[in-house]
Amino acid sequence: QLEHGCAPPTAARAGLSSASPRDVPAERPRGVFHTSESDPAKHTEQHEGRLYNIPLEEVKAVFPHGLPYRFQQQIQTFNEARLMVRRPALELLACLKGSSLAQPAVRYVIYGERGTGKTMTLCHVVHYCSRQGWLLLHVPDAHLWVKNCRELLQSSYNKDRLDQPLQASVWLKNFKTSNERFLGEIKTQKKYTWGKRESTEEGRPLGEVVEQGLARVRSASDAVGVLLRELKQQSHRGSFRLLVAVDGVNALWGRTTLRKEDKSPVSPGELTLVHNLRKMLRNDWSGGAIVTTLSQTGSLFKPSSAYTPHELLGKEGFDALDPFVPIPVANYSPREFESCYGYYLERKWLQHEKAHTEDGKAELQFLSGSNPRQLDRLAGPL
Amino acid sequence: MAAPSAAGLGRRLRAWLPRIMPVRWSRYNPSYLEPEVKKESYQKPLEELTEEEREQSELKAVRPIKAAPPTLSSSVFSDPMISKFTNMMMKSGNKVLARSLMSQTLEAIKRKQLEKYHKAPENEKETIECNPYIIFHQALKNCQPIIGLSNITRGGKTYQVPVPLTDNRKRFLAMKWLITECRENKHRRTMMPEKLSQELLLAFNNEGPVIKKKHVLHKMAEANRAYAHFRWW
Repeated sequence: QLEHGCAPPTAARAGLSSASPRDVPAERPRGVFHTSESDPAKHTEQHEGRLYNIPLEEVKAVFPHGLPYRFQQQIQTFNEARLMVRRPALELLACLKGSSLAQPAVRYVIYGERGTGKTMTLCHVVHYCSRQGWLLLHVPDAHLWVKNCRELLQSSYNKDRLDQPLQASVWLKNFKTSNERFLGEIKTQKKYTWGKRESTEEGRPLGEVVEQGLARVRSASDAVGVLLRELKQQSHRGSFRLLVAVDGVNALWGRTTLRKEDKSPVSPGELTLVHNLRKMLRNDWSGGAIVTTLSQTGSLFKPSSAYTPHELLGKEGFDALDPFVPIPVANYSPREFESCYGYYLERKWLQHEKAHTEDGKAELQFLSGSNPRQLDRLAGPL
Repeated sequence: MAAPSAAGLGRRLRAWLPRIMPVRWSRYNPSYLEPEVKKESYQKPLEELTEEEREQSELKAVRPIKAAPPTLSSSVFSDPMISKFTNMMMKSGNKVLARSLMSQTLEAIKRKQLEKYHKAPENEKETIECNPYIIFHQALKNCQPIIGLSNITRGGKTYQVPVPLTDNRKRFLAMKWLITECRENKHRRTMMPEKLSQELLLAFNNEGPVIKKKHVLHKMAEANRAYAHFRWW
C-alpha cells in the first residue's frame, strides 16, 4: 500500500464528512471511519476515532509477538490489520516526538480498566517507533515470565538467581525477527565468556550474542542480560534510539507462583530475566523512551477490580517507577463506538439481521458499556 | 392457593416459551398474569389499542404478575432454538459454560465461512452463506427425521413400528443426535465448539454422520412398513 503524505489541508476537521484521505484511485473508497494514513507519525486529532491499516508484511516483521490473540484472529479472518487511532496514543506520540535524545529516558505508564485498549495503544506506539527506525525492545507480557515456568535452572553467573531458558529463548527469537538490521551494526564492548569453550570477543556484532543464546538454551537468560546491558550502555551515543516497551509491567514487582526445589516461593528479583529488565526500566540512561502497560488480567494475587498504578504496582514497584507519565485509557467515546461498529458491519462481521438495526446497535452499546473488549466478545457470535 | 413465596416458586418450574408450550404444572394462583417483555407493546399509545388490549392493560394494573423465567429475554438477538440447544448442551446446570460454548461455536462457524468467502472468486461469493444463525437453523432442519419408530408389543413380541413424529419430537431428535455425535465421536483434545461447528457445516450441506443417522432411521421405517397397521393412534 502506498504511503501518502499528510492529509490534504482542505479536509474538514470534524472528521464526519466524506472528505477523508482516499486510497490510490484504483481501489473503491472505504468508509468514513477509515483513513489511508498508515504512518503513525502523521496521525493527528483529525484521525481520532478512525482505523488505519498496517500492511501484513510489516505486521509479521514488527509484531512477531505483542498483539493480543483476539486481534491476531481478527487479522486472519479479515485479511487486514486495522488499528484504531485513539486519544491516549496520540498524546503519547506527541510526547515522544517532543522528547530529546540527551535527556534521560522518560517512563510512560498506560493504565486503565480491563479491556479498554492498553495493549493496542502500546502496539500503536511500537509501530510508530519501528517506522521511525528505533530499536524495539518489546516484552509482550511480563506475566509469562513469573508464572507457569516448567524449567528453572540455577544461574551460573550468580548462585542466588534462577534462569528461565525457554522463555528467554522464545523472546530472543522474536527480538531477532523485529530488529534484524541493528544486530549487525551494534558491537559488544566487553568480552563475555559463556562456558569453558565459548566466549564472545569484544567488538563482535550483537547478532552473535543472540545466536549464542538461541543455540545454547542454557545460557539464553544470560544472553538476554548481556543484550540489555549493551543496549543500555550504547544508547546515549545517538546512533540508534531505543524503545523499551513492556506489557504487564506490574508482574516485575509482584509475587510469582514459581517455587524452588525445596518448595520455597521465588520472589521476582531472584529471576535473571526480571532482574535485568528491572535494571533496564531505571531512568539512568538516555537516548530513548520507556513505555509500559499495567495489566490486571494476567496478574497474580491482585483483585480483579484493581486498575490504578498504585494498586497494581504495589509500593515497591511504584517507587521503582516513580517519576513516570501516567496515561489513562478509557472506554470508547460515542464516535469511536460508531467507528468500530461501522467497521464490523463493513467487514461483514456482524451477520445477525437485527444487528444492522438501530435497536441492535443500541443494545450492543448498552451491553458492552462501550468497552472495546466486551464489544468484541459480544459481536463474535452475532 | 397461597401467594408464592421465594421457596414456593418451585425451583423445578421450567416455563420455557410460555406462549408456544403450555406450562406443565404451576403453583401460581390463576389470578397471576404472564410477564410481557416485548418493547413494542409498551410503545403503542393508548388510542391504538383494541378493546381486548385495553381490558388487558387495565387488568395488569390490579393483578399480580408471575416472575419472568431466566430463559425469557427482551433482547433482539435472542432465539428460542438457540436457547433450547444451549439447554440441551448444559451439564449439571452450568448455563454459563453452555452459553459460552454456543457463542464460541457460532463465532467459529462465522470465521470459517468468512475466510472461505474472502478467498472465493467474485462469482462464487453469493453462494457462500456467512450467517451462523441461518446455517444453524438450516442444519437442524436438514437433520430432522420425517418418520420415527416406536416399540409396540403384540403377542409377546416387540415390533419397531413406523410412526409419524410431532414437530417438537423432530426438533428434539435432531438436537439430541447432534449433541451426542459431538460428545462421543471426537478426539480427546478437540474442543466442543470446533467439533460442533464442523458438524453443523456438514449438516448444512446435507453431509456428515448425523444426516446418515437420519437416513438409516428412514430406511428402517421403510423396511418395517408392513407393521404400520399396528399403530392405533
